[in-house]
Amino acid sequence: MLINAVIIILREVLEASLIMGVLLAICQHYEFSRAWAIKAVFVGLIGSAVYAANLPLISNLNDGVGQEISNVGIYALIYIFVLYIIYGLRIKNNAHLITNAMLVCVVMAIIREGAEIIVFVEGFSSVPDLLTPVLVGGSIGFGIGASMGVFMYYLVSSLSFMAGLRLSLLLLTLMAGGMVSQAVQMLQQADLITGQLPIWDTSAYINEQSLLGQMLFAFMGYESTPTPYQVVFYMLSMVFIITFMLGTLKKIKIMSAHD
Amino acid sequence: MNKRIVPRVLYGFILGFVISSSVSATPVYEIEIRNHLFFPSELTIPPNTKVKLLIKNSDPSAEEFESYELNREKVILGHSKGVVFIGPLEEGVYPFFGEFFPKTAQGKINVKAE
Repeated sequence: MLINAVIIILREVLEASLIMGVLLAICQHYEFSRAWAIKAVFVGLIGSAVYAANLPLISNLNDGVGQEISNVGIYALIYIFVLYIIYGLRIKNNAHLITNAMLVCVVMAIIREGAEIIVFVEGFSSVPDLLTPVLVGGSIGFGIGASMGVFMYYLVSSLSFMAGLRLSLLLLTLMAGGMVSQAVQMLQQADLITGQLPIWDTSAYINEQSLLGQMLFAFMGYESTPTPYQVVFYMLSMVFIITFMLGTLKKIKIMSAHD
Repeated sequence: MNKRIVPRVLYGFILGFVISSSVSATPVYEIEIRNHLFFPSELTIPPNTKVKLLIKNSDPSAEEFESYELNREKVILGHSKGVVFIGPLEEGVYPFFGEFFPKTAQGKINVKAE
């Protein structure tokens, strides 16, 4: 049970932790206030408790696919706000809007992942024999997940302004693309978009269950057997976001050359 | 000429979404979770067919129905039901498991023509 709890909590924490690490590193480079992060964790935790408490209701909405719809909503919000952050970084004196967009992204990520952790741990609350290993394992998983976010923060922070910006925007782009692909999968799972045969199968090269597969999933939404719609929407979302990213990088380069 | 092709493809795309999700009755298969086990733990479904899985969790604790092969994951709360659509799929074996109790909660879906 212990190992299982480590893995589950790690997987849940990783997504929010990586996003937060990258966003905080951007703030560090831009000398923006990082106070939003504490607020985001606080609001996110309250939000996930509220979300978890209402999950029975949410799950039953729309003939039992309410969970999928709310997940898609969360993914869509994060994608839109990431898009805004990438765009907004080219505008001068824009710290307020950007840090608020960052706050929303992290709150959304924490709500989704936090609610799943609550539901998972809750199941053991009546089984004292299992509760201790679950809590110990969960704490270890949380520690590893949080450390990866901290690592990401220091990695990006240690680079020069331009290199750090390039890396963090690239990471955000990949993560946002992964979320779009996840959202499409949720819509197919709920039959709101028609299900399809996978377009290819790369499980022989990179298995999704392997460490590499799990890491690639966290960083860019890797799926070994994606459906055509997933691939199409992933590509479209990437084209969109990369256009924004290149525009921002170009603008900032010109701006910093003038300074 | 070229300008007209793009919207047409787009309409086709959107129409595909709407039509395919409304027409034709989808076969339903029920799976029960009890004592962190799946009943039945093996299901056989036809190839190239979309199928609705109705998963009933009779345990007090939540479970997450998960499958890497099917690309599906869904939390089914304790004493509740959840719906997961799968397919169309090619012939083959697609394992699934309960992420919260993976030691016992194991099952597979056989996709095979009758």
